[in-house]
Amino acid sequence: MPSDVVLVIGGGPAGLEAARGVADLGARVVLVEERDRLGGTPVFEQYAALTHGFQDAEEVMDRMVQAVVGHPGVEVRLRSKVVSCEGQVGSFRVGVQRLEDGAPATVEAGAIIVATGFQHFDPGRETQVYGYYEYPDVITLADAEAMLKAKRFVRPSTGLPPERVCFIQCVGSRDRQIGNEYCSKVCCGIASKQAIEIRQQVPQCKVYIFYIDMRMYGYWENEIYWPAQEQYKVNYIKGIATEIIRKGDKLLVRGEDTTLGRPLEVPMDVVILSVGMEPSKGTREVAKVLGLKQNKYGFIEVPHEGVDPVATSVPGIFVAGAAAGPKDLDDTLSMAGAAAMKAVAALRRAAVAGAAG
Amino acid sequence: MDTDRTTGERVFRRDPDLPTPEDIRERVLALEEAGEWIVQRVPQPYREVPTKYGWPKKVPLQHTWHHKSCGQCGHIPGYSTAIFWLHRKLGLDYDDPRDQTSCTGWNYYASATSNAAAQAAVAARNFAAAYATGYFPLIHCGTSYGHYKEVREELVKHGELRRQVREILAKLGKPLVMPEEIVHYSEWVYAVREEIAARRVYDCSEVVVTVHPACHYYKLVQGDAIYDPDIYGGQRTAVVTAVAKALGAQVRDYSTWFDCCGFGFRHILVQRDFTRSFAVSRKIETMIEEAKPDVVLTHDTGCVTTLDKSQFAAQVHKKKVGVPVMSEAQFAALAMGAHPYRVCQLHWHAADYRPLLEKMGIDWRERWREFEEDLERIQRGEKEYLTWEDVDAEVPARHFLPVS
Repeated sequence: MPSDVVLVIGGGPAGLEAARGVADLGARVVLVEERDRLGGTPVFEQYAALTHGFQDAEEVMDRMVQAVVGHPGVEVRLRSKVVSCEGQVGSFRVGVQRLEDGAPATVEAGAIIVATGFQHFDPGRETQVYGYYEYPDVITLADAEAMLKAKRFVRPSTGLPPERVCFIQCVGSRDRQIGNEYCSKVCCGIASKQAIEIRQQVPQCKVYIFYIDMRMYGYWENEIYWPAQEQYKVNYIKGIATEIIRKGDKLLVRGEDTTLGRPLEVPMDVVILSVGMEPSKGTREVAKVLGLKQNKYGFIEVPHEGVDPVATSVPGIFVAGAAAGPKDLDDTLSMAGAAAMKAVAALRRAAVAGAAG
Repeated sequence: MDTDRTTGERVFRRDPDLPTPEDIRERVLALEEAGEWIVQRVPQPYREVPTKYGWPKKVPLQHTWHHKSCGQCGHIPGYSTAIFWLHRKLGLDYDDPRDQTSCTGWNYYASATSNAAAQAAVAARNFAAAYATGYFPLIHCGTSYGHYKEVREELVKHGELRRQVREILAKLGKPLVMPEEIVHYSEWVYAVREEIAARRVYDCSEVVVTVHPACHYYKLVQGDAIYDPDIYGGQRTAVVTAVAKALGAQVRDYSTWFDCCGFGFRHILVQRDFTRSFAVSRKIETMIEEAKPDVVLTHDTGCVTTLDKSQFAAQVHKKKVGVPVMSEAQFAALAMGAHPYRVCQLHWHAADYRPLLEKMGIDWRERWREFEEDLERIQRGEKEYLTWEDVDAEVPARHFLPVS
């Protein structure tokens, strides 16, 4: 019996948008989220402003969550996890386990949307000598975001406002040594945005960004990149930072200034690592449970990405957002809409085939 | 990553689901299955130690074939004898072969000194000589160790090279052998550091140490190097620091910790004063200014040589130098009561080590008097040279393995 339910796995921006989209199209949604609240990474990591238009992340996510929680067509199951899957498009039988007591349940779904997202690259791994696990003043974009949201951007070691802050781009991305050979797409925009926010909140602080290339797609060029430099005096320096070590009460950042063609060694109060995206644990687990092909980086493989960006290797199962690879917010929401449309279409086709057969 | 943002305490925990770089040892074993070579296994008893990507590495405790360092034997012989002495005092048997050759790296980055087939054949000849004794190679020199790891990569990845080397060894009547692990003596020191600490007789708690980690140890073929979550949070290589801490010394950091000593990368062949300047300006002066160490400890021939001996010329130029440099093996031996001259042979070192000995409570004047008496006996023709007999009785051996 074909099901009229779409199962959405993951309650972050992709999952919320997909769930609302499916429900608005008149189908039923079961939204499964492993954490105890909806909102995904922007909420969990306390994002301050979104890169697009500097909108307040909490306000935007609140609206997205309310649209789903209040929607009669959506059933939300928090603290729950997908553990098994059988069947095919039109009639999947998915095992969903409640985490606190292990109570099992089966969701019958005609289509599935995977929205399990990403995790940040861990800068303690592999070839990194950035000292993230040695020095509290070396932080990641996510650590910086939380401080900016709290309007308290300080040197973690002293609790005082910093005088010199730098970003190091491409940490864990574009790196053949560790196998993350891709660009994580959003970090240049986020770093530039955070640089502006730091200059706004701590006007006496000098801010530097060490980059390989600045990926300023589309309107970011004029909305972020040039204001950062012209209005907020953020210094962009083309070069690779290779080592961070303490000297006195400062952090020494060592590397190569590519433009000047010589080594650089500069003291900083805070170093922000622009850590890239990797598939989240949830993405890896769900891929195995659902039998989805993963690409060599562990993201959900999209067979014909440019033409059909939300398809997976299994008919009837769609992907939205960073579970498929580095995505920014408008990619994610666009994919979520497309996935919702295709999922509902799959339900309708299965229903017609079922009625005919 | 686990982050407690309120306290700033961060703990690195390796995610077992994430891929790591290729473990070359798997390919070494696969080549044995394919009949390409013999893999000499690490003998029991061994200890497993943690490495950079979380893979365990086997370090043999005894039955080791000591691949000595030409630079140590030639310029800092106390380094070699300290390593042997530690084995003797821990009651661990070893072979000191007479048929071992230099790895031909000669403290430089070896690829500049020869060609791939010749170097690989030299390495393989030494491995085959070890295999014939049944004792497992333990490499004394950091440069040899780094160089042999690179040779292993070359041999694994190039069948043509293996064929060439096999033919060369066949002329010597030797099989092509690759050890299961390539083990540096400082990894053995790390593995037995608690046993060393248990035999400490001099107080090291007032001794300030700076550690210089050898590039050839942890920068070349990085996956083999020991990284221990209890030392630097697993973020820097653990050897040398681990034994200094086990002995109770204070290990202090400095801002050029990751810098090369300047010796081992070929430039010493063409621009020697660059090396001396580097050792003094980047390393020794920075250590003295920022950490004020009583001793610099390292674990490679080239590093000890240049960090120690470059201070001599620097002193003439009124540079702020003058800190003793030695291997962690010599320091551990001193702490356990080894004779500073008969065993650690500190008279070969340039920078003054006597304040360090005084701080540890070692009476160097008396020890020097004993050594001068040894020299007089040799001059009188009573003996040809000092042997283990002359030193073994000074500190009794205490076996920690069951004696079979």
